[in-house]
Amino acid sequence: MKEAVRIQTEDFSQDEEIAALKGRSRRMGGIGTFLGCARDFSEGRDVSEISFDAYGSMALSEMRKLREEAIAQFGLLDARIVHRIGTVQGGDNIVFIATGAEHRVAALEACRWIIDELKQRVPIWKKEVTPQGDAWVVPHP
Amino acid sequence: MIRVVFFGPVADRIGSNQLRADFHAGMTLQQLRDGLAAQHARAFEIVSMMAVNGEHVRDLALPLADNSEVAFMAKFSGG
Repeated sequence: MKEAVRIQTEDFSQDEEIAALKGRSRRMGGIGTFLGCARDFSEGRDVSEISFDAYGSMALSEMRKLREEAIAQFGLLDARIVHRIGTVQGGDNIVFIATGAEHRVAALEACRWIIDELKQRVPIWKKEVTPQGDAWVVPHP
Repeated sequence: MIRVVFFGPVADRIGSNQLRADFHAGMTLQQLRDGLAAQHARAFEIVSMMAVNGEHVRDLALPLADNSEVAFMAKFSGG
């Protein structure tokens, strides 16, 4: 089975990730998911592709900590986090988070918490490639 | 020797993704940062996060150990 927390260049399958999560416990009554995708338009410009840079070892370590903290804080049965790096096109998948709990509230709240924390704590940067030139993305609140 | 690493927008402004800095006893993160910022002012304008050996650090008074890896980073934009 694939690791629950991964950084990879290739695309991921949401179905496979959810199946792996569900397979961890038959007590799971709710699964929350977040899928982050590449937009082809940003800040008034067409975006032809997005490239990522990452402090790989620290990013993976921080994502593992996020998973463990979310499991403890929200009483999850399990959670999975996958983030792509390399270069993606508009519409492509970037990040997937899945959280499983006995009930929906914990699953949904944990999923929201993980993506918000990931944006603050995980050292990954995205650069938008546009016809007007390349620009590193300034984070949205 | 301290290994200093850069990524994304900071690496672009430095023109490199790593540098080496001489270590001296009692050296702090502040001293390392001040020395590099003087040479790479434009890159350090956007530095808002730091890490030592892969762990987030906010205290610039932190003493550094020889052979540490230090990252000076811009705000993250993953996700």
